[in-house]
Amino acid sequence: MRIALIGNPSVGKSLIFNQLTGLGVEVSNYPGTTVELQRGNTCFQREIIEIVDLPGVYSLEGNSEEEDLVRRFLEQEDVDAVVVVASATRLERNLYLLLQVAEYGLPMVVVLNMVDEAAKQGLDIDPGPLHDLLGVEVILTAASKGLNIDRIIPAALAASRPAKVEIPYDHHIEAAIRSLGKMFGVDRKESLRALQGFGENPELLEAARTIADEIESRHRMTVAQIIAANRHNFARRLAELTVREQHPPPGADPDSILTRFIPGMPILIAVLVGMLLSVFVVGSFLEEMIVEFFEVYAVQPFLALGLHPLLEELGVSVLIALQAGLGIALPYVFLFYVIISILEDSGYMTRAAFLADNVMHRLGMHGGAVIPLTLAFGCNVPAIMSIRLLRSRRERIIASFLVTMVPCSARTVIIAGIVAGFVGLAAAFSVYAIVFILIILTGLILSRVMPGERFGMIMEMVPLRRPEPRLVMKKAWSRLSEFLFIAMPLLLLGSVVLGLLEFFGIMTVFEGIVEPYTMGLLGLPGYSATALIFGILRKEMAFETLAILAGTADLGAVLSSLQLYVFAVVTVLFVPCLATVTVLLREVGSRITLAVTVYTVTLGLLIGGFIHHLFS
Amino acid sequence: MLPSTVEDYLEAILEITEKSGRPATLEEIAAALKTGKETASSTIVALVEEGYLERMGGDAVRLTEKGAALASKTARKHTVLLCFLTEMLGVDTDSASREACTLEHGISDDTIERLSTYMGGDLPLTGRTRRRRGRETVTLLDCNEGDTARVALMRGQGGGHRRLLDLGIFPGEIVEVRRKLPNNSVVVRVKGCDIAISPEIAGSIFVESCP
Repeated sequence: MRIALIGNPSVGKSLIFNQLTGLGVEVSNYPGTTVELQRGNTCFQREIIEIVDLPGVYSLEGNSEEEDLVRRFLEQEDVDAVVVVASATRLERNLYLLLQVAEYGLPMVVVLNMVDEAAKQGLDIDPGPLHDLLGVEVILTAASKGLNIDRIIPAALAASRPAKVEIPYDHHIEAAIRSLGKMFGVDRKESLRALQGFGENPELLEAARTIADEIESRHRMTVAQIIAANRHNFARRLAELTVREQHPPPGADPDSILTRFIPGMPILIAVLVGMLLSVFVVGSFLEEMIVEFFEVYAVQPFLALGLHPLLEELGVSVLIALQAGLGIALPYVFLFYVIISILEDSGYMTRAAFLADNVMHRLGMHGGAVIPLTLAFGCNVPAIMSIRLLRSRRERIIASFLVTMVPCSARTVIIAGIVAGFVGLAAAFSVYAIVFILIILTGLILSRVMPGERFGMIMEMVPLRRPEPRLVMKKAWSRLSEFLFIAMPLLLLGSVVLGLLEFFGIMTVFEGIVEPYTMGLLGLPGYSATALIFGILRKEMAFETLAILAGTADLGAVLSSLQLYVFAVVTVLFVPCLATVTVLLREVGSRITLAVTVYTVTLGLLIGGFIHHLFS
Repeated sequence: MLPSTVEDYLEAILEITEKSGRPATLEEIAAALKTGKETASSTIVALVEEGYLERMGGDAVRLTEKGAALASKTARKHTVLLCFLTEMLGVDTDSASREACTLEHGISDDTIERLSTYMGGDLPLTGRTRRRRGRETVTLLDCNEGDTARVALMRGQGGGHRRLLDLGIFPGEIVEVRRKLPNNSVVVRVKGCDIAISPEIAGSIFVESCP
């Protein structure tokens, strides 16, 4: 038994999925964040039921990756029932997708979610007419309160027939459907898709093109426009039967503040700066506490045991790795993901994208690119994964360059830990300034030289809502645990390898070889090169490694301010971390990944050398 | 030479050669197209030059591979159109029209033209879609915050961006401009949802009027 959830973005579909399966799944308010399919199992009356959460889409006939995925899934996968989740607050637009799904002729259940919010907006929802017209079960739910969620699975199991509704199309379209049906034996759905240029059969497509041309010569609209208009108009009739507006919704509209240039823009900047500051201040405070705790209760008692030197080295390496990992993971990564989750779930992220459209345009991307770029402050890995929401390859390539240059939370650790800690807060911000200037210059240059067409932004502003603390925490936690499971083993391994190399004196030899170069170019001691190399593994390890190699956490005592500053700048710009390289390979291919890597290494060394020679 | 002329000749020759199983003579071609031998002859010369036809001795010709491909494509197109047009006339219950949809060849542009005109289509079939008249010059960019406008026409690849259609912005729909930034990015409300659109796309959406 397999059930698929399908619906527009941000209708609470992921939340329903979460409640049905009880598995940890991301809930997100930003259109297109749940790109991959989410699968989960549930048990009902001793039967195991697989539930698939399809990515949020607006249509089954678009050309985005998500829409393609959902279409293929409905066509190829063996689905026993489709649960269409629609938001009661924007029913008319949601019904458009519902009608398309109905045309696929799969057994169907309709879930009208967010009835609580609809009631707040003065909307009265009557499922009766929809139930009568479609001939399928219609359930009113409020997922945030868990209302009626338990009715979904039984209804889906009982669903045996598809919706009986048939959208009345323009008579030209109907004639075209009949003609194609007679000539090729294709059904209504396939005819409609062929008329819009979708399908595999070249003869069918050729015939459909001929008819489409004929229809288009009679209308002032394309076939796709006519079909869309017919569906929307039918959806409107259904919505009018279902929704009664009792009283006009309350007047307060936060968008009158958030999306206006003034004060929207200052608010956007304040949000971004506030995000960074809170991580600097709160994060470093928490980190100090955790590191101190480890130092007093773990490292020192362990050293006091007086074990064999090799064992002691290994033990200390493990402890230091744990200390570094937890010291970073909890304060910085967790905090960042809490903030990002709040921005996503509240719907503010789309406002930010709208406001930033013009600026992003100058950098060769549309406003949506502010999402990956902002996400990148948390971690480059999810940011690179989210560049999929940019539609052209040109934009994706530009974004992949810029995103990898954005100082992620791990690099913030370096800036906060090394520069803010030992040089000063102003210097820390100057590192950001340097990086931002380089990002902007890179974007300006790339937008000029990159070939390819420019696309604009068409984006739904998802409704603003209060983020659910429980959901935000759950999401932040799932991202944190991902970090812990992927990063911690690497950290442990790296730390142990490093400890052993150090113990057997191999590191000293390596440092001796590179010392003249690092000294000449950057004015840094040889061991900093080792730290840089370990920084490729994970950025924050550069800091920890430096501390280990310098033999003290008080870096200010062994390195000058300029040296620390140069080290931070080089590390921040240097090669993206291993995890980022892995996702880059998947998203943009090996050639671009190599280009990004070479570019960032060169840039890091050049800028570092430049600063060193300017100030020394 | 008009593309439709080429198509007509090739289709006629295809029909003649298939029926008789030998190359088509000038006389047959002229008769099939109801035209003078002179005209037919000069057209055939041009078609041979363009590689659609090859001479088979005397005044007989037959289709080259290229010619045959175009001829059968044209024939298919005509079949499809005839089928579609009869369906539009609403005579689909008629057994004759059901047959029409499976006919192989033998429908001339003329028949199609007559059917088409009968149903009120006044446009040449062979031409592609009708060009826009330069009447509407008002786009979403000309609207101000708070204006309500009816979408008249959308430009762009394949009649505008697919995503716009799916979000409910299509010709005939009424949209309200909720926000317009100094850089001309706009937010429009349609079907109770707010849609952010960047300037170059907003500029491709023509509207009937802005108060």
